[in-house]
Amino acid sequence: MEKQTSPPSALIRFAVLDKVLALGRANSLWPMTFGLACCALEMMATGASRFDISRFGAEVFRPSPRQADLMIVSGTINKKMAPAILTLYDQIPEPKWVIAHGNCAISGGPFVFPGQYSVVEGADKLFPVDVYIPGCPPRPEALLEGILKLEEKITGRRRWPIVEGG
Amino acid sequence: MDFVQVLRDEFMGRFGERLRIEDVDHAKRGCHLDITASGVDIEEAASVMDGLGFTLEAISGIDWPAEEAMELVYDFNKMAEGGRIAIRVRVSRERPEIASISKIYGGANWYEREAHEMFGIVFSGHPNLTPLVLPEDATFHPLRKDFSA
Amino acid sequence: MSVDATTIQGETFVVNMGPQHPATHGVLRIKLTMDGEYIMNAEPVIGYSHRMQEKMAENRTYSQYFANIGRIDYVGAMIYNFGYACAVERLAGIPVPERAEYIRVITSELNRIASHLLWFGPFIIDLGGLTPLLYAFDDREGILNLLESVSGARLTFSYFRFGGVCNDIDDDFVAGCRAFISRMRERLTLYRRLVTDNIIFRKRVEGIGVIPPEICRKYGATGPVLRGSGVAYDVRKDEPYSIYPLLDFDIPVFGECDSMARYRVRMEEMNQSLRMIEQALDKLPSGPFMAEKVPRILKPPKGDCYFNVEGARGSFGIRIVSDGTEIPYRLKLRTPCFANLSLFEEASRGMLLADSLALLGSLDLCIPDVDR
Repeated sequence: MEKQTSPPSALIRFAVLDKVLALGRANSLWPMTFGLACCALEMMATGASRFDISRFGAEVFRPSPRQADLMIVSGTINKKMAPAILTLYDQIPEPKWVIAHGNCAISGGPFVFPGQYSVVEGADKLFPVDVYIPGCPPRPEALLEGILKLEEKITGRRRWPIVEGG
Repeated sequence: MDFVQVLRDEFMGRFGERLRIEDVDHAKRGCHLDITASGVDIEEAASVMDGLGFTLEAISGIDWPAEEAMELVYDFNKMAEGGRIAIRVRVSRERPEIASISKIYGGANWYEREAHEMFGIVFSGHPNLTPLVLPEDATFHPLRKDFSA
Repeated sequence: MSVDATTIQGETFVVNMGPQHPATHGVLRIKLTMDGEYIMNAEPVIGYSHRMQEKMAENRTYSQYFANIGRIDYVGAMIYNFGYACAVERLAGIPVPERAEYIRVITSELNRIASHLLWFGPFIIDLGGLTPLLYAFDDREGILNLLESVSGARLTFSYFRFGGVCNDIDDDFVAGCRAFISRMRERLTLYRRLVTDNIIFRKRVEGIGVIPPEICRKYGATGPVLRGSGVAYDVRKDEPYSIYPLLDFDIPVFGECDSMARYRVRMEEMNQSLRMIEQALDKLPSGPFMAEKVPRILKPPKGDCYFNVEGARGSFGIRIVSDGTEIPYRLKLRTPCFANLSLFEEASRGMLLADSLALLGSLDLCIPDVDR
């Protein structure tokens, strides 16, 4: 697998500078406060003192999409809410990433049944998603692992060891 | 429950034969009085409840396609003194229409909007009968038994 | 709206608050018609989190629906489990053993404290104080550890079953609860010194967001909103269920009707919940935690019934209509936040925008509870 780093910054690419930029972007992701439903609470818990997302540089939750570069879609996406979410996604400046946090953002979650009329079955129906975190809701450690996976995607290497079970 | 007796007398006095009042066991049904009031002006009934100091807790719609009717259950509760009354009204399924009680109880405004968008029941006299929970341009009524997206 | 000097001189404009906004605690949109900083009309637009809970009830069996119940008010999910389990048990006539009742009350009251701590953090953030959230979440993690050890979930519990609970509690849990209670009592003193007695906080909430009891009655507000307006209504005392009649606790009621009163109701409720948990732990009997001979596929008899419990945000009621099959015919969820939010339009007229956030925060909304 080729080591794909961040999207090309311009027509001219500086190899080492790109790597430095990628390292900088990965270690200071600024998420947007975008909690839709239950998963939002686990996102808040990850940002709070016990699980501390600030260790990985991502504690600066910005309410405005123009100041953020990561959208953590936590919770069920509704058909009524979908246009607003698309607007928010468009307003985030490049380079931007999306984490689908929780089962609802991956595929509609427990709210999909035959004849359902209100839920969009997954964030990737609206825009491209970089990392999927399953769970209903996923534990804060799972969200942290998702952030680390995103860092690996951005920089091409994983800086933190993988925790073995047991 | 003394005021339950007061309520019973008030309702029987005012509406008489058009009501059917059932004394139910609260432990089994969750309310103290169950009043079936299909021929009664719901606005008048609601103003009786308002005068006696009851709160409107919920308006539930139930679709009975087999009986060609829709039922509305108005749950009233007298806070801090106890006492739960359910008033049931049936409307026709083809043209479901009933008077709105939103002038008497402000909370009924949202409950009626919800019953309208979920079942298609028209509440005449309601100031703003637009979808509440569904998208603004929704024209479907999801809680009807014959609905499937 | 009458025409006077202020409206002639100025222009009103419409501002959208939400649906993505840090202070609306979820996806709530409020259409504000503003005259400068003053609100002329605030119309909440809801439905951005509508997850078809009532329609799903007609597509799931009674047992399968526990998964949905935990996700309506996900902050106080244990209490909603309680309401649903009791409603179906009332309809189907299933008895609950005594130990299960005690376990239900202990876990529900722990969940109530967790819910109030979760309200406390963001409420103070809305007013500008970012630190108490970290303290509150730390305490909340203690509760979630306890609840996770018995139910397996941190947030959206499906711990209850018809006729009891799905898992017994052990001595570790009881010891953990007792340790938590003594720690939490000190923390409540800390919160009083850090926040309640803080002059900046008090200036932001005292006298702000007055909701008179008559408005509460007209809109059906329940819970701390109603008790902060002087009406002593709590389902645990008025329509008692489970073992609440055997416990000794008070209902905090404050008559000032402002945001401070609602705040004080919730802080005192945490104290009362600690008392209840202590008493329930002392009296915990041994025995089965699940009724015997509860059918796996439950088919309650035809009929309907209503059951309401005191949720963390107010009175949560369920009306079940059964047609004798294993799938409910109709399940109506009477959620407290729906009624509590409906009075926002009337209560916020003429307020400053910043003050209306103090009012909105003190209503303790959970938006999926409004939209279901």
